[in-house]
Formats: sequence, C-alpha cells, structure tokens
Amino acid sequence: MKDKNILSVQNLTMHYRTRKGDVSAVDDVSFDLARGQSLGLVGESGCGKTSIAFSLLRLLPENAQLLSGNVYLDGCDVLALDEKEVRKIRWRGISMVFQAAMNALDPVYRVGDQIIEALQTHFRGLSEAEARERVRELFPLVGLDPGLMDRYPHEFSGGMRQRAIIAMALSCEPRVIIADEPTTALDVIVQDRILGELRAIQQKMDMSMIYITHDIAVIAEVSDRIGVMYAGRMAELASAVDVFEKPLHPYTHALMNAFPSIEGEKQELKALPGEPPDLLSPPSGCRFHPRCSRTIEKCMGLQPPFEEMGAGHFVACWNPLEVGNG
Amino acid sequence: MGNYILRRLFQIILTLVIFQTLLFLILDAQPGDITLQYLTDPRVTPEIRDQMRIALGLNKPPIERYLQWLRNFTTGNLGISFSHYPRPVLDIILERAPRTIVLFLTSTLVSFFVGFVLGKQLAWRRGGSFEYSMTMVGVVLYTIFTPWFALILIYLLGLRLGWLPVGKFLDPILWRDAPVDANYVFARLGFTGFVLGVLVAFMWLSTAGLSPVRRRSLRIVGLLVIIGTPLGLWALSDVGYLAGDMLEHMILPVAVATLVSFAGTMLMMRNTMLETLREDFVMASRAKGLSEAEVRDKHAARNAFLPVFTNLIISIPFVLSGGIITETVFSWPGMGLTLLQAVQNEDIPLAMGAMTCVGVLALFAHLFADVTYAFLDPRIRYQ
Amino acid sequence: MAEITKSQLSGLTEPIWRIRLRLLRRSFIENWRLFREYPIGMIGLGIIAVFGLMAVAHPILMEYVWEPRVYDPVIGYDISILAHPSQPSSTHILGTDPLGRDVLSQLLYGTRFGFSLGISAALVSVIVSTSIGALSAYYGGIVDVFFMRLADVVIMLPFIAILIVLSALIEFNGLSLALVYGILVGFGGQTIVIKSQALSIKVKPYIEAARAAGGSDGHIIFTHLIPNLMPLSFLYMMFTVTGAVFAEAALSFFGLLNIRMSWGIMINTAQAAGYLLAGPEYLHLMLPAGLAITMLCSSFYMVGRALDEVVNPRLRQR
Repeated sequence: MKDKNILSVQNLTMHYRTRKGDVSAVDDVSFDLARGQSLGLVGESGCGKTSIAFSLLRLLPENAQLLSGNVYLDGCDVLALDEKEVRKIRWRGISMVFQAAMNALDPVYRVGDQIIEALQTHFRGLSEAEARERVRELFPLVGLDPGLMDRYPHEFSGGMRQRAIIAMALSCEPRVIIADEPTTALDVIVQDRILGELRAIQQKMDMSMIYITHDIAVIAEVSDRIGVMYAGRMAELASAVDVFEKPLHPYTHALMNAFPSIEGEKQELKALPGEPPDLLSPPSGCRFHPRCSRTIEKCMGLQPPFEEMGAGHFVACWNPLEVGNG
Repeated sequence: MGNYILRRLFQIILTLVIFQTLLFLILDAQPGDITLQYLTDPRVTPEIRDQMRIALGLNKPPIERYLQWLRNFTTGNLGISFSHYPRPVLDIILERAPRTIVLFLTSTLVSFFVGFVLGKQLAWRRGGSFEYSMTMVGVVLYTIFTPWFALILIYLLGLRLGWLPVGKFLDPILWRDAPVDANYVFARLGFTGFVLGVLVAFMWLSTAGLSPVRRRSLRIVGLLVIIGTPLGLWALSDVGYLAGDMLEHMILPVAVATLVSFAGTMLMMRNTMLETLREDFVMASRAKGLSEAEVRDKHAARNAFLPVFTNLIISIPFVLSGGIITETVFSWPGMGLTLLQAVQNEDIPLAMGAMTCVGVLALFAHLFADVTYAFLDPRIRYQ
Repeated sequence: MAEITKSQLSGLTEPIWRIRLRLLRRSFIENWRLFREYPIGMIGLGIIAVFGLMAVAHPILMEYVWEPRVYDPVIGYDISILAHPSQPSSTHILGTDPLGRDVLSQLLYGTRFGFSLGISAALVSVIVSTSIGALSAYYGGIVDVFFMRLADVVIMLPFIAILIVLSALIEFNGLSLALVYGILVGFGGQTIVIKSQALSIKVKPYIEAARAAGGSDGHIIFTHLIPNLMPLSFLYMMFTVTGAVFAEAALSFFGLLNIRMSWGIMINTAQAAGYLLAGPEYLHLMLPAGLAITMLCSSFYMVGRALDEVVNPRLRQR
C-alpha cells in the first residue's frame, strides 16, 4: 500500500505569525495520495486548504511557520530539502494551477514564452525550438490553438488564460498537480468544460491531482477521494462516494445540506448556523463544536482523534453520525 | 505606430511654436537691451549705441522681429548672437548641444540603472537596516543642494586629493599641441558609443533563441569582445590620450548629475516593486521552480520597470534642470551655461536658441520614451 | 416613533459641521498613528521642528540679545573685527561673511525666509492643482481637455531653465518666486495626479448618494470631492516645499534673485568673493547654508515619503 502513495502528508501543522498573535492555519493534517488518484479538498474559505497547497510547494510567506509534520513526495521529505532542491521539486514534482488564473500569467511576456521558461528551467539543455515544439503539443491538449502561443495574456479571455495555466502546469509532466479553485472566476459553462478536460488529462497522463475548492458540487466530478476541512483541521477523509452517501462528520453532513441537489428528493436547505471560528484563538476541543448540532460534553474539552472508522474512511469526531444517516 | 508618431510630431511642433511665442514675449518685455551694457563705457556714445541697435535690428517693432525670427527659424536660421557677435546662434548651439546631450544621456542612463538595481534590492529586502540606511542616503542625495554638493566634490576630489580635474571640458595645456581639435575627438567618441550600443543590442537579440546554458556564456564573451575591441583601438590610436583627458573631465560632472538623481528612480522602483511582488504571477514563477534571482529580475522587476520608466519620462525636465545647474558649476560648455550667460547678457537670439534647444530636447526625449514604452509594455499599442 | 428619545434626536440635530469636524479629527488621529510607524517621517518632522525653532529664534535674538547694528543679516557690520570674513568666535559663533555680517544671524534669517517661501509656494500649487484637478475630474469635457493638455506641456518644461528666463522679465523676490513656482507646479504634474485621484473618488457611492439627495455641483465638489483629495494634496505640498526651497537656492546661487538674504544668497556671496574653494578655514561660509538647504529639503521630502506610505494603501506592510 505504502509504495503506491506518491504523496504522503503526515501531521502537518502550520502557523502564521501576525501582530495580533499566531494564527493556527493548518493543524495536524494527514492524508495520502496514490498514483493516478485525485483528491478533493473542500471547506469554507480560510480553512487552510490553500495553506496546505503552498506548504507542499514550500511557497509559504515569510510569516508562516511550519511547526511539525512531514511531506513525502515519492519517499523524499519535501520539508527537509534546501532551497535549491526544493526548486527541482517545484513544477517537476508538484505543479499548481492557481486560484487567480487571471493574474498568474505575467502580462509582459508571451504566453508561450512563459511555458518555455518553465520548461527551460527544468530541462536546461532544451533549445528554444525544442521547447516551442513541446508547447505546440501541449496547447491542443487543453483545447487551445497552438497559434495562440505568441499572444500576450491580455489578449486571452478568462477561459483561455485558465487553459494556458493548465498547459503550463502540465508542461513538465509533474507527478502531482494541485488545482486551487481553478475555475471560480469563470462562468459555469466554461467551468464545467475545463473541469471535464482537466479530469480527462489527469487520468490519461496518470498524474495525481489535489483539487481544492469551496464548492462541494464541483468536487464530486473530479475527485476519487474527498477530504473535508474545517478551521485548519481535516474533519473527514473518504472516497467520494462515501462522503456523499454516508458522511460521518456532522460538518460534512451540514455541508451536503447547504447545497441543493437537482436529482434527489426535495429537501429543505439547512444553512449552517454561526461563523467559522477565529483561528487566532480557535475553540478548545473539536473546533466545530460551537456550531455543531451533535455536541456532547467531550467535544468541548478534547480534540477528537483522526481515526479510520470504515475501510479508508477517516473521521475526527466524538459523536459521528450513524452510517446510512446521510 | 507610424500614425501615432506623426501625430505626436505635429503636437510637438505646435507646442514649440506656443512655447517660443511666450519666450519671445518674456525676453522682449524685459527692460533695456544689450546696448545698456556699454552705458558706462565712455568710448560708446549714445549715437554709437543707436547704431548698434539698428545693426542688431532692435529698433524695429517687436511683432516684426518676432515674425522674422519665426520665418528664420523654419529655415534653420536662429539668428546671430549679440554677445558672441558675429557668430550665428545655430553654430554655437551645434557645438554645445552635443556636450549637453552626452552629459545628460550618460548621467540619465547611469542613474536610471543604479536607481533601478538599488530600488529592486530595497524592495526585496524590505524592513532591514539596509533599506533604512539606503533610503536616508537616497533622500538626502536627491534633495541635496546640487551646486553645494558639486563644490564639495570638486574641493575634495579635485583640489585636496587631486584625483580629478576640477572643471571645464578639457585641459587647455594638454590640448595646445594636439594634432586635432576637441570637436574631432568628441564626435568620434560619440560615434563609438553609438556603435557599441547597437552592437550590444544586436548581440543580445541574436542570442535569445539559444538554450539558457549557452545563452549566458555566449553573452558574456560577446560583451567582453564588443567593449574590449574599441577600448584597445582607442588606446592604441595617437589621439587616445586626448580622449582620455576628455573622459576624465566628464567623470565629476556625470558623477554629480548621477548622484543627485538616481534616488528618484530608486525610491520609485522600491514602491512599485513592493506592489508587483504581491502579484500572483510572482508567486506562480516561484512555483515554476525559478530561482529567487530569476523571480526577482525577470518577473517582479521587469513589471515594476514599466511605471518606473514612465516616471523617468516625467522627470526628464527635472534631470535637464539638474544638468543646467551641474553644467554651470563645472563650467561645462553646454546648453545650461549658454542659457544662463545669454539671459544675463540679454542676448535675446542666443537665449531663444538655447531655450528652444532645451525645449526640443525635452520634447523629443518624451517622444522617444513614449515610443520605447510601447515596445516594453505589450498592453500598450498606440493607435 | 415614540421610541425616539431626546438624546437620539439631539444626535440627529447636531450641526453638520461638528460631525464633519469629529470625523476629520478621527481620520487625523488614525493617520497620525500610521504615520508614526515610519521612522523616516518622524526624523523629517524632527528636523522641521528644529528649523521652526531657528526661524522663531531670529526675531527674538535680534530684539533682546543681538545689537542690530552688528548682527543685522543684511546691513550689519562688526567694526571691532579688522578683517572680514572672520573665523568663528565667541561673538560670532559661525564667523562673519566677506561683508562683515554675522553668518549665524543670516542662517537664522534664511530659515524664516526659506520656510515662508516653501510653504507659500506649496499653498499656491495645492490650491491651483486641487481646484483644477477636482473641476476637470468632475466636469470632464473641454475643461478637462484644456487643463490636461496644458499640464502635458508644463511637465515637459525644465523649471530651472524657465525660471532663469523669467528672471530676465520679473525682478523675483520671495513672494513672486513662490507664486510663479507654485503656479508652474500646480498646473503641471500635480494636477494630473490629483485629477486621476479625483476621478476615482467621483465614482464612489457616496458621491452618487449626494447627487441623488439633490446636492448641487458646488456642494458635492466642496464638501465631498475636495476633502477627500486633501490627504493627497497635503502629500504633494511636502514635495513642493522641497522643490521651491531648492529653486530659490539655485537662482540665488546664480545671482538672479532680488532678495535681501537667503541661504542661496549666502553661498552666492561667498562664491562672488572667491571664498568657495579657498580651503578649510573658510568652510563656515558655505557649510552652514548648504547644509541648511539640504536638510530643509530632505526633511520635507522625508515627511512626504512617509505620508505616501500612509495615504497610499498599496504600500502598507500588512
């Protein structure tokens, strides 16, 4: 089982230092990612999804502090590498499709040249002509006309830019690709098409993918497994089917109910009461307990362990829902 | 693009005509004229002064003189200087303008480069003692009283230590027996500089298509060859020592003009760079595995370059103003000194000519910078 | 309706100017808190304060301590000293200049002059640029086109050259120089900056609301637009002070100004008498004035820099 995992995150804990105090952005998060698998990370904004992504790439801002944990990429501890070795991991080992694709392309360079730059960074001997040929092959893969590679980013529409970013993320054939809300800025139809294509490419190229979103409706389409995050912690991690069919964590359950289902029977939408907690001083015990409908006394004092409750179904809850109660 | 340049040229001409009209009004409205300088000279009787006025055309009504001046200007005739009588103004300007342009160009390029590099570093290492001390030094140099600063440098480097000549364009003793005159050497020096620039640019562009490893080594070799060859040739030629003297005289004025203006670019660059460092593409290029230096130089600084370059365009007149002061202090025979002397002597044709020249210089520097900007920023295409 | 208590009513009837004043005070305190975090601004303020003391000190010293016949900055002469310029001594702390006048007295007088010149030039420029910027942004159209083209021309002029030429026509004194310099700056780059800021304010919801509530153009411009331009205008005032003091010193140095005494004149006097490069024993003739010009220009510029960080949110650290 272990050698199948291309990426393994163990007990990752990370704080941001601010003037007001430490913000506990990621707390004791663990997950594995198998080759060719797609993991969806879902949660409200500010719950630490993007912080995890940046930790994996070692791209955290200066005020971030990795307190503990390990990240193994193909057995190599990413967090222990020095700056020079990390650069080799970036894009070649793990690449990323950015949240704000509009601004992830440098406005003063041609789109193609920015991909060539990534290629030449990792394949130093590659000549311009060879790199161009590679970009020419990449563009149709993401549904772009190769003739567009000599255009500037401002000449691209939002959807085209997003496709270009995906092409750039694919260019060095990374083992893991992180997609951080890649489609939020786009309209729904384009969103859907790009999602489908991304999923198809990922499966075809046998890459692993981490898909980050706040939109649980999107995640079902692209993920084999889903991790539900709340306030910097992993609340539940299971196969996509399990998360949707039989959620165990009350937060997952509430999240499911907060989105309308077109197919299922008519249900009343239950909005989650309260606000996500302030991570400067997170609630004691289970961080979800102030908003939870199933709080018992234990929840307030003790942090629930992240345990396997079914086959590959992990959850951190003292009072989980019954199986089949979804 | 062609259309844009044409329209800008038309604008420039229009501006120039308005500018000259105002200038003429101002200069003409001042009390007295050049002949008053001879008021205390017993050999110059009132009759002679009247004759001088007639000879200089000062007896005609202003409007007639203005129209004549304009007519002459369009044929390239800027009149004859009163104080350097009978030298034509154009002759004086053609001799002196290149000297100003060389001083202005060198100091602008050097100060822009220095300011750009320092500003980049300031933003990159924000908050450290390096930033605070450099900012303080920068602000003080930027606001320092230029003549005073120049005099201190002249005193220290020129008089006390004797490292550098204290002023003027060249050393008259050295040039007394020289086989050629100053303009001969100066023109060739300028030409060499121009050819160097073109060659470097050509080399840079022609190596762009190679792989990163070969590109770097080829560029270093190319740079050494291109700069080394003319340097050797000049040194071997029999006027090399004269050129050396000229360059030696340039060091101090260029240094002063650079030191008092680089901080403008530096402080602007710091602010702009702080903004671009927050952009997503900076994070993206870091994620791509580029080294910190590449992220800083190729992406953050390259984008910050654009507004800083605009700032340079806007500050061209400021640099020219500084140049005028620098020239005066160093007795550098350029347009600034010419203008100051012409105004003090009420030499209307020369003042008009000098001012026109400074104005044309400022206007064309603007145009040139605007056009360059279009090449630097792909988002801008002039219609 | 009955629930509305008297205190609430009085809150509503509180005169509008008092509410504005309170808001102004609050924003001032807030900005001051931000400003204090920038050491460069505080250093600048400190230097300005020292200069302020110097400016105030001069008339007091002239009145109670110094004999006007000896210490007057322009016409004073110390007959007890045989050769002028003389070295610093207990009677003349900074020595005397070639015309036998006390250098310290000149320096202090020059402070007053430099201050008033800089501030008046800044006031002129800010009045011109704020009103033109606000009007151009608010009305647009032909007004805008005219002033913006004018600004395009003005920013291309090298001010020192223009002032040199103008000095042939105008017998510049402190006031007219402040006026001319302020106008040049005001019509030039400053207008462009202020106008673009005004444009961004013009589209803010509260301007729309004021218009919808039936506010007249004049009311909107004077009570909404211009007050919101003030921070930026204030910032540019700092830079204008620097420029004006510098310009005065440069023109005085060239001997083109018709003023009694200033720092520039002090250097000009020393230069005209041939003492500029004469050696370290004559340092007291050029060092104090040159240093004073530089320090005053720097201090206002530093305050401007720090204000820039406060006013411009994009530069803030966190």
